[in-house]
Amino acid sequence: MTISDKSAVKTIGSRIWVFFGSLKLTLFVLFSLAAFSVVGTVIQQNQPTEFYSGEYGKWAPLILRIGLEDMYHAWWFSTLLLLLILNIIVCTIDRFPPKWKTTLESKADVDARFIKNLLNKHTLILQDKPAFVRERILNILRKKRYKVKEASGAEGMSIYAWKGRTGRFGSDVVHVSLLLILCGVIIGSITGFKDFGAFYEGEVITVPVTELRLGIDRSWHGIPLPKIERQEKASDIQLRLDKFWIDYYESGQIKQYNSVLTLSDSGREIIKGRQIWVNAPLSYKGITFYQSSYGTAYDRVKQAEFLLKRAKTHKTITPPFTALWNTPYDIPGTDYRIKVVGFVSDFAFDPATSTVFPKSAEHNNPAINVEVYKAGKLVSRPWLFYNYADLFAAIPDSDYELVFDSYKGILYTGLSINKDPGTNVVWIGSALMVVGFFMAFFIFHKRIWVNVRKGSLETEVNIGGMINKNKFVFERELSEIVDEIKSGSSGGIKQ
Amino acid sequence: MKVIMSLLFFDMAFWFYLATMILYFGYWIFRKEWLGQAATVIAIISTFAISMMLVFRTKESGHAPFSNLYESMAFFVWITSIAYLIMEFKYKIKVVGAFVMSIAFIAMVATSQLPYRFQDIQPLNPALQSIWFELHVFSAFIGYSGFGLAFGMALMYLIKARFEERKTSNFLIDRFPASAMLDELSYKSVAWGFIFFTLGALILGAVWANKAWGTYWSWDPKETWSLITWFVYAAYLHARITRGWRGKKAAYVAVFGFLSTIFLYWGVSFVLPGLHAYASQ
Ligand code: HEM
Repeated sequence: MTISDKSAVKTIGSRIWVFFGSLKLTLFVLFSLAAFSVVGTVIQQNQPTEFYSGEYGKWAPLILRIGLEDMYHAWWFSTLLLLLILNIIVCTIDRFPPKWKTTLESKADVDARFIKNLLNKHTLILQDKPAFVRERILNILRKKRYKVKEASGAEGMSIYAWKGRTGRFGSDVVHVSLLLILCGVIIGSITGFKDFGAFYEGEVITVPVTELRLGIDRSWHGIPLPKIERQEKASDIQLRLDKFWIDYYESGQIKQYNSVLTLSDSGREIIKGRQIWVNAPLSYKGITFYQSSYGTAYDRVKQAEFLLKRAKTHKTITPPFTALWNTPYDIPGTDYRIKVVGFVSDFAFDPATSTVFPKSAEHNNPAINVEVYKAGKLVSRPWLFYNYADLFAAIPDSDYELVFDSYKGILYTGLSINKDPGTNVVWIGSALMVVGFFMAFFIFHKRIWVNVRKGSLETEVNIGGMINKNKFVFERELSEIVDEIKSGSSGGIKQ
Repeated sequence: MKVIMSLLFFDMAFWFYLATMILYFGYWIFRKEWLGQAATVIAIISTFAISMMLVFRTKESGHAPFSNLYESMAFFVWITSIAYLIMEFKYKIKVVGAFVMSIAFIAMVATSQLPYRFQDIQPLNPALQSIWFELHVFSAFIGYSGFGLAFGMALMYLIKARFEERKTSNFLIDRFPASAMLDELSYKSVAWGFIFFTLGALILGAVWANKAWGTYWSWDPKETWSLITWFVYAAYLHARITRGWRGKKAAYVAVFGFLSTIFLYWGVSFVLPGLHAYASQ
């Protein structure tokens, strides 16, 4: 490599560096993130493919191709976030060290010319002795909570006073906190899990855990790349739903969903009968159980009500009677016995396997499966329909007709089971961010220099200063200090 | 439930805000000191009336007065008025009142135009029964107010800066504070707004979502629009320190940011589907 090659590499390198550290890139990335996010709220996310072809017609393939249907996880959206992170890091490396240095610098030995070049400055001529004037100025500044440093040079005495240095680093605290929050998000997405389950009262489930293993991924041109493999398996933690109920307002609107849970670990009951509701989850060993939804069971009922009718005349011969789920019931006045053994909320039949299955969890076409016994012997096993009561004769070779009249469903509770070890990192980052904001926005770095020198007859004071922002307030403060210096003066004042 | 007193105070506040706005305009145009004083007094009375509206609303409904669009709009007007009055006492810049009180009055008009069912008190659904929800909304609305004030002053800045550049004089524009002052105050408002918006809309919103649904972030349209708005104001803060963006361009970003805030607040509820759709209740 020749020397010019080397310097060419160097200039390209530094150009790239400057590019990644520039604030123009920051603006570009922030505006792009905003604009794409808007697109993500306009095009509904994570819908089935048919939705997009129905909604967007010939644009659908394009939308799916560039990942607009799952935009926030598209590679280019992640790239923008990565660019933001890179931008922050490079920018901080570039700017932090010099900022640190100039902020901590305390150069007290300055002459009058230096002060006169400041944006904010005043010159006073006082009749007091320089030492006296200096002492008073020091007192005034200290009273205003400035830290001060003195020096004396060829040009008389000078003072450097400062406060609010921490404010300078507020922006860095904010930037670091942002990185911390993103770390928390990444930790959560790698090590966390989110599960959902519907539970019936009395049911016991085993809580899953995720195990992470380092594996090898060869999907990219057969090149072995490290990959984190996740595996969910059963843990030692078991959860039992003791009770679930809904509270209502007088108006009939839902007030609250409540579940009572009992949790055991390795066979030992740890938490017994804890009530949870929306906004009040239960946490154990980093796993949190949320009340998230509820519903009516699609595959079982609590009890069903039946009528017995004459087959020919359709006249009711018994008052309605109630059979509990899976419990034999003797129909009064007959030698029949029934048992409710099955239920589907939305009846469907698969002829291939001749099985009945629920088409959906909605109660569109509820059907119940009963076993009918005569004198202790099973005579039939019909499906009865709630919507089509008189359709099928239930009891063969008899004068009776069994009618499925009504049923009482079983409520299930929908629980979310989550583990997200990154959440606390996100909260710490968030707290830090707010602290950083207060530092950046409300702690101002103020610097004041004073030079006191002896003129031919009087004492000349030059005072000036700088602030990193909020300059109107600072102008006023500096004028107040000047007024105070003047007002304490015994002799005449000249501007 | 009875909602008589709060509606009464709302109607009262409505007319007071109209009067306030007219008086600030009067002060600006006719340069009469007494008009300015009257404007401030009526502004204080308006703020008192809307405060009473919120107090009675809380009493009548039994929950914090920002659980639907109607309540939260009144709450926005309340915070904006208080923030403006503090600023007026601190910086003595009454002409700004004409702009800020116009925003407050427009908010009152928009609120009064909401369908009747919003004025009625709805019991809180399970997800909204949380202290985190209340803190979330409370803080987010301080943020909205900060952005609203910044918007008003950024508009004034854009007008004023144009006149200063051309060195032209206009008896109305000359009464504006200097553009440097407007820029500084607009920045200060964004700073306040940004802190409370970040804390309220994003952080406390995330805490609440995490408590209620078990995820602190789910890209729901309202969440996403908060983030969009946040990006825009982050861009504003950085535009102010970027060569070539300082001044007018930054002011445009602040204007743009408030439009995004309005969409976040109104547009998402009525236009886009999602968890936060107050309107679909
Ligand atoms: C969403 C992302 C970001 C947020 C929320 C953020 C936040 C902030 C805040 C609050 C300030 C203080 C502003 C003020 O005092 O007026 C600031 C300053 C600053 N930011 Fe950022 N920032 C972000 C991204 C970036 C990026 C990517 C860069 C990279 C170039 C950057 C560079 C700077 C610089 C150079 C300052 C001024 C530093 C100083 O005053 O010493 N920021 N940022």
